[in-house]
Amino acid sequence: MSTEIHALLGAYVLDAVDDVERARFDRHLRECGECRAEADELREAAARLADGAWSAPPPSLRANVLAAIATTRQVAPAVPVAPRRPVARWRLLTAAACVAVAAAGAATVTWVVQDQRVRDAQAAAESARSGEARVRAILTAPDLVTHQQALAGGGRVTVAVSRLHDAGVILMTADTAPDDERVYQLWTVRARAAVSEGALAVGQTTAVRVIEGLTGVSDVGVTVEPRGGSAAPTLPMAADVKLA
Amino acid sequence: MAERGIGRRPDHVSMVPEAPADPADLLRAVAGGDERAFERLYDLVAPRVYGLIRRVLRDPSQAEEVAQEALVDVWRMASRFDPARGSATAWIFTIAHRRVVDRVRAEQAATDRASRIGTLVADTPYDVVDDEVSGRLERRQVRRCLDDLTELQRQAVVLAYYQGHTYPQVAELLNAPLATIKTRMRDGLIRLRDCLGAGVRS
Repeated sequence: MSTEIHALLGAYVLDAVDDVERARFDRHLRECGECRAEADELREAAARLADGAWSAPPPSLRANVLAAIATTRQVAPAVPVAPRRPVARWRLLTAAACVAVAAAGAATVTWVVQDQRVRDAQAAAESARSGEARVRAILTAPDLVTHQQALAGGGRVTVAVSRLHDAGVILMTADTAPDDERVYQLWTVRARAAVSEGALAVGQTTAVRVIEGLTGVSDVGVTVEPRGGSAAPTLPMAADVKLA
Repeated sequence: MAERGIGRRPDHVSMVPEAPADPADLLRAVAGGDERAFERLYDLVAPRVYGLIRRVLRDPSQAEEVAQEALVDVWRMASRFDPARGSATAWIFTIAHRRVVDRVRAEQAATDRASRIGTLVADTPYDVVDDEVSGRLERRQVRRCLDDLTELQRQAVVLAYYQGHTYPQVAELLNAPLATIKTRMRDGLIRLRDCLGAGVRS
């Protein structure tokens, strides 16, 4: 095990690390069974600290939670599809896309994307298409730089780039899908020309997309387009993340 | 007489007191979509989930919102609970803690919380806890075990867990080197684990 990263174990268990450190530590745990066992034990101890914070919740909480679960679909059990990969299931981080978002420095987005991912088969397919291993490799690069911008209409676009890999990952999560059968479309701007990085499906609000080759890429943009996407971006952009 | 015995109404049978609830069993039932089990689980853990979140956020209305998110997560993600990795309650509080820390960090993006509350913290690990159930054994044990830590260990653990600070923020608040804080967090938790007894409890 790497001693340097392992020194973060206590901070990791206490959720006192930032998102990039968390992603790195998650990777460390995947590679080190002994460390995983220690993390589990210390998490057990840390969770007991919640015993020290007991407070009667307002009655409305019970009613609201019960009402919410009545209309909330549950996630399917984790499919033991890759036993070789001891994912820290405790973290509820289902591999790359979640590690991805965690690494990208968007703490609140992590959950949102998880939520969406498990509910949204499209997003899952999307993520599979983008290549989880590639996403993970980029997001755990030592030279990772993240850029973030709010999305007009609510949501966030995070672009994480690694010059070492000469690649980046676009992570988009919108609060709502565009109306009127319109869709989000992702763009890179290279030498002042917009290149489509693909349109999302109608109703789709999250995307994980790898950009290969960063040479000349100055911006990553998001626009709202008619179903199927457009050849050229419809302005104004819903988000324009400057990389340069 | 015998007739009376035979004539017991079926609903009487269903009113047999339920077995003491084990959170892990409940969580398994919840994973199968059992809303009744979820209600029982809610009653077992909601005061701690809410208490923890309220303690970290300090704002009751926000606390209620985040607690709702966390508890609905428990319902949604129940099938992902793995008893081999730890107890059901720890799994639930881990979800709750992540949720509230996410909220704190989101707010920190706008304001530098460390400097804002730097003067409030450090010496008051128990101050804001509501006292409805002050006699609970678990609470006494946690308190005793926290007191068993060195001062720096205790502060490092408490500032991270109850205030949602990152370790660099804790280092700044305690005016200690980063490496020291990382170490104190880890050995503080190890001591806490040893004091609480490695046993998993509900």
